[in-house]
Amino acid sequence: MKELKEILQECKELSFDLNFTRAKNWKEEKEGRVLVGYMPIYFPREIIHAAGAMPVGIFGGGDIKQIIKGDAYYQSYICHIPRSIMEIALDKHLDHIDGFIFPSICDVIRNLSGIFKQQKIGKFVKYMDFPQNFLPEIGGVFYQQEMQHVLKYIKELNGVEVTIEALNHSIELYNRNRQLIDFIYRIRQDYPWRLSIEEVYCVVRAGTVIPVEEHNAILEQVCEHIKEDIGVPQDKIKVVISGAFCEQPALGLIRAIEEAGCYVVDDDYMLGSRMILGDVDATTDHPLESIAISYIKQSQYSSSIYDVHNPKENRLAKIVKDRGADGVIFAAASFCDPSLLDAPIFQNAFDKMGIRYISFQFSENINQYKVIKEQVGTFSDSIKLWENEEVVSI
Amino acid sequence: MTDSIYTMGIDVGGSYVKVVLMSYDNINEDHKLLDKQTEKIRKRDPKDVASETIAEVLKRNNLNLKKDIAYLASTGEGEMVEKKTGHFYSMTTHARGGKFFTPDAKTVVDMGGLYVRAIKIDHRGKVMDYKMTGQCASGSGQFIENISRYLGLAIEEVGPMSLKADNPEVPSGICAVLAETDVINLVSKGLSTPNIVKGINLSIAARVVKLLGSLKAESPIALVGGMGMNIGMLQAIEELSKEKKKEDLVFTSHPDAIYSGAIGAALWGGFRYYKLKEKEAAVVA
Repeated sequence: MKELKEILQECKELSFDLNFTRAKNWKEEKEGRVLVGYMPIYFPREIIHAAGAMPVGIFGGGDIKQIIKGDAYYQSYICHIPRSIMEIALDKHLDHIDGFIFPSICDVIRNLSGIFKQQKIGKFVKYMDFPQNFLPEIGGVFYQQEMQHVLKYIKELNGVEVTIEALNHSIELYNRNRQLIDFIYRIRQDYPWRLSIEEVYCVVRAGTVIPVEEHNAILEQVCEHIKEDIGVPQDKIKVVISGAFCEQPALGLIRAIEEAGCYVVDDDYMLGSRMILGDVDATTDHPLESIAISYIKQSQYSSSIYDVHNPKENRLAKIVKDRGADGVIFAAASFCDPSLLDAPIFQNAFDKMGIRYISFQFSENINQYKVIKEQVGTFSDSIKLWENEEVVSI
Repeated sequence: MTDSIYTMGIDVGGSYVKVVLMSYDNINEDHKLLDKQTEKIRKRDPKDVASETIAEVLKRNNLNLKKDIAYLASTGEGEMVEKKTGHFYSMTTHARGGKFFTPDAKTVVDMGGLYVRAIKIDHRGKVMDYKMTGQCASGSGQFIENISRYLGLAIEEVGPMSLKADNPEVPSGICAVLAETDVINLVSKGLSTPNIVKGINLSIAARVVKLLGSLKAESPIALVGGMGMNIGMLQAIEELSKEKKKEDLVFTSHPDAIYSGAIGAALWGGFRYYKLKEKEAAVVA
C-alpha cells in the first residue's frame, strides 16, 4: 500500500491537470476508445463506462488558467466557469475528448453547449435534460430516453452496443465508488483531522478524470489509512458547505475555510460524485430504469432539482443534524443563479430552525481569501465562545 | 480558592511573532501574564520562528507543551503554528487583549503592522462592531517602522522622541510611498527629528480619530498592537480628539500592548478549555 502522502499528491496532480493526461493515455492505450467530457453537476457515468468509453469531468480552469479568449463569449454578469471552460477548449486542452455532455443546471451552461456546437468542439454535444417530474412512469421514462440518446452518440463513435451485463457491471463499480467516498465522509464526521477537506476534495476530484477502477483502488487505500488514528485534533467548529456545486472554489479557498477555524464535515463541492445516495440496483434486467429510479428516489438535493414534495432546506438541515455540524457556510459562485436563488430559501428556513450560517461569494480564479477568512474566523469564534447567542453580523 | 491552568497564546503577524505564557484563573478571573517573547521574522520561515519561540518560552519556564499547557491558542497567521490546540481570529483576540489591559474598556483600537482597526466590545470582550482602515500602508505600524529606520531611530525611541516635538509638520501624502518621500524632504529642510516623528504620529492619529468617529466609539478606549506602545501616538490621538471636540474620550495604552493578540488568544484558550471540559462532563453525566 502506498503512503497516504504519496496518494494525496497524485490525486492533487490528477485533479488539476488541465491536459487530462491520464484520460488521454487511457484512450491511446487501445484503438477505438472514446472519451466523453461532462460538466457539473451530475451525470450517470455508469452508462458511459458500460459503453466502453471513459467519462471525464470538466470543472473549469480554477485559478490556474488565465482567461483571455473566454471572456469574449460571456457578459460581465455571468459566472466564471463557462469562460474558463471556453478558454481550455480554445487552447486545445480538450482536443482528445470526443463528445461533451452538458447536464441541465442553468441557462449559462445551456448556452455553453450551444457555443460548443457552434464552434464544432467535439464530435457530439449533448445538452442533457434531467427530469423535474419525479414520477417514475413520466420523469423516469423521459430520463431513460435521454440516456439512450447519449448511448446512441457513443455507439456512432465506437460501435459498442451496450448490454445489460455491461451496465450492471458498471453500476456495481460506481456503487463501490460511492460507498468508499461515503466511508471517507463518515470517518470525517467524527475524526475530521484525519484527512483535511482539501485532501478529500482532491481524492474525490481525481476520480472524475481517471478510470473508475483506478479510482476505486485509490479510495480503498485512502480508507485503509484513515481507519487508523492519524492526525492531531484541534478545537474547531464543524460546518457544512453549501452552494459550490458547479463552479469550484480554488483549492486555496477550500483550505482557507478550515484554516480559519472550521472542520468541513460535509459539502457539495463535487456533488456529482456523491449525487446518488446508496446503491443503484445492479441486479435487474432493466439497468437504465434502475439508474433513472435512483435519480428520482435516491438523489441528493441540488439547486437544479425542484422537488416541491421534498424541500431542499429540510434536506440540508438534516445533513447539518446528522453530521453534528455547528453551522452552515453558504459559498456561492458570483452570478450563480441556481445557488444565489436558493440562498434566501435556505436562510429563511434556517432562521426559523435556529441553524447558524454565514454566506459569501467567490470566483474560481480568486486567490486572495483574507476577507473570507475574516468572515469564517469570526463565525467560528462566535460559535466557540458565544454558543448560545445569535451570531453578530458585523 | 483558585482553579488555575497554564495557557499560551501566539500571534503570528506580518513582521513579528509574539508569544505569551499566562495563568488562567477560572474562578477569580485573576489571569496573569507570566512570560512573553517577541521575535522578528526577517527572512525566516514563520513556521520555524513560531515553533522556536514557543520552545524558548517553555524552556525558560521549565514547562512541557503536552503535559503542562492546557491550551495553545494561535491568532493572526495561525496556519504557521503546527502544534496549536485551536485558533482565534485576530479581531476576537485583540478585543480580549484590550480588555485585559483596560478591564472596563468599551472600545479597542488594534494598531498593527498592516492596518488599524477600531473594535466596539461588550463587558465580556465580545466584538460588537468594528471599522478598519483600507489597504493603505500609511496608516500602519510598518510605515512607522520604515520611517524610524530612515531617521536612524530604534522603534522604541519613536514614542518618547515624539513627545519632545514643539512644531510638528504633518506629511501631506495619503500614500505611504508619497509620505516617505515627504519625510525625506522634511529632513532636507532641516526639520528636527521630534517634529518629523510627531507629524507622522499625527497623520496616523487622524485616521484613528476618524475611525473612532464613524464607529461612535465609547470610552475607555484601549490602544493595542505594536503601535499601542508608542506613547507619542497616544499623545497625538488625545490632541486630535480634543481638536475635534471629543474631550470626553479617554484613551489608555500599555507597555505590553504588542502582546494584546497573543494575550487575547491565551485567555480565550483558557475560556475554551473549561467550556470543553464542561461539555465532556455533560456527556459523561
